Amino acid sequence: MSLFSDLPARRFASLCGLLALLVLGGCTHTLIVDGRFPSPLVPEMPYTVGIYYPEDFLAYRYEEQSEDRAKWIIDMGEAQAEMFATVLPGMFSKVVELEQLPSAGELADGDGVDLVLKPVMEEFQYTLPSETKIKVYEIWLKYNVQVFDPEGQLIADWILTAYGKTPTGFMQSDEAAMNQAVVVALRDAGANLSLNFARVPEVRAWLAQR
Amino acid sequence: MAKSVKTDAGRILGLRRCLLAALIAGAAVFTGCTSVTIDHYSSGQVTVQEDEAVVVLGRRFASSYDTEVDLISCVGDTLAGGRSGLTVIPEQEFVDRLYPWFEPRTAPMRVGALQRLVRQEEVADAMKEYKIRHIVWIDGKTETTDSSGSIGCSIGAGGAGCFGFGTWDQESEYEASIWDYDTQKLLGKISTDAAGTSYMPAVVIPIPLIARVQANACKGMAEQLRAFFRPEQLTQE
Repeated sequence: MSLFSDLPARRFASLCGLLALLVLGGCTHTLIVDGRFPSPLVPEMPYTVGIYYPEDFLAYRYEEQSEDRAKWIIDMGEAQAEMFATVLPGMFSKVVELEQLPSAGELADGDGVDLVLKPVMEEFQYTLPSETKIKVYEIWLKYNVQVFDPEGQLIADWILTAYGKTPTGFMQSDEAAMNQAVVVALRDAGANLSLNFARVPEVRAWLAQR
Repeated sequence: MAKSVKTDAGRILGLRRCLLAALIAGAAVFTGCTSVTIDHYSSGQVTVQEDEAVVVLGRRFASSYDTEVDLISCVGDTLAGGRSGLTVIPEQEFVDRLYPWFEPRTAPMRVGALQRLVRQEEVADAMKEYKIRHIVWIDGKTETTDSSGSIGCSIGAGGAGCFGFGTWDQESEYEASIWDYDTQKLLGKISTDAAGTSYMPAVVIPIPLIARVQANACKGMAEQLRAFFRPEQLTQE
């Protein structure tokens, strides 16, 4: 008897749960960032550079945790790795991708590597048009680009920031606008990297010694 | 009695069809009105040689707006079109080729800053390859400044329809700066202001009477730029 009396309540609870899932699912914006990045037109530095992408960099995914904001899941690991992989060969005479970071006193994989770079995503922020009252999607990126010598000694710990925005467009989806803003921010990161890397004081000092 | 009802229904249907036809014909004939004002300043006569190219770029550094990509391509296409068309390098192609020098935050803001670019061998080579001497920067936007009215739509067993009236005002403000890459000098400025009101009456179906504010601003800007670059053809016409 109690089983039968519980059944409608259980069904109701299941139905509510399903409805809540549908509503929440309907409000979730999922985006895998898709963009193409040009090679930079800058003087090439005559060095061989090793690049090490940490696991969490390659699989970077931003998931909005705040309950006051729209639910966004932004997967940009592949796009940011592609940006670095396109920009760095334009800056240096040779770029080698490393499987692991050389530990102290150990030479990096592949002889002849002059520098090793390790990009780390520190912070990702965005604002939506509904939050700022201007019809623009905005993105801020903060990377920590660590520069090591071939023996694993840290040379520089450079904070690389980037900004991108895109206006809302007629008949353009939220995901398409957000993708465009992230791509603009990644291009800005690439511009900052290619134009300012050699100006980082610690890197400049290292270059002066060579 | 039944015949009379049928006749009334037929008359109403005929009246609706007439009204609909009138609205469609009206939409075909009329569009919202737009007024365009153009001002220009030039520091001397400029002529683009036959083998030279021009690039038209949009400013995208302001916090609340970007100069629209479609406005830039419209100006470029209009400049390139016709018998006396100029060679115009598409914006995205140019920005990608010269990456990272013309990104929103790295592009030169003043003509004097071109000197930094000229010193870059790779940039100078790319500019030479494109045969670009003149860079046109366009800054501005088109925005909806006011709107009023309302349109209601409903669906019933007998069909669907809308009724109401909507109107909105748009304003365009653009300024083009023409730079000489070789001499790193500002050659001139052209400003275009356009304003217009669009209407949308709805009797059964909504009929938009759109004021082509941005398109008219583009046309005005492109014509003035063409006269700037090819003054000899203006006198021939």
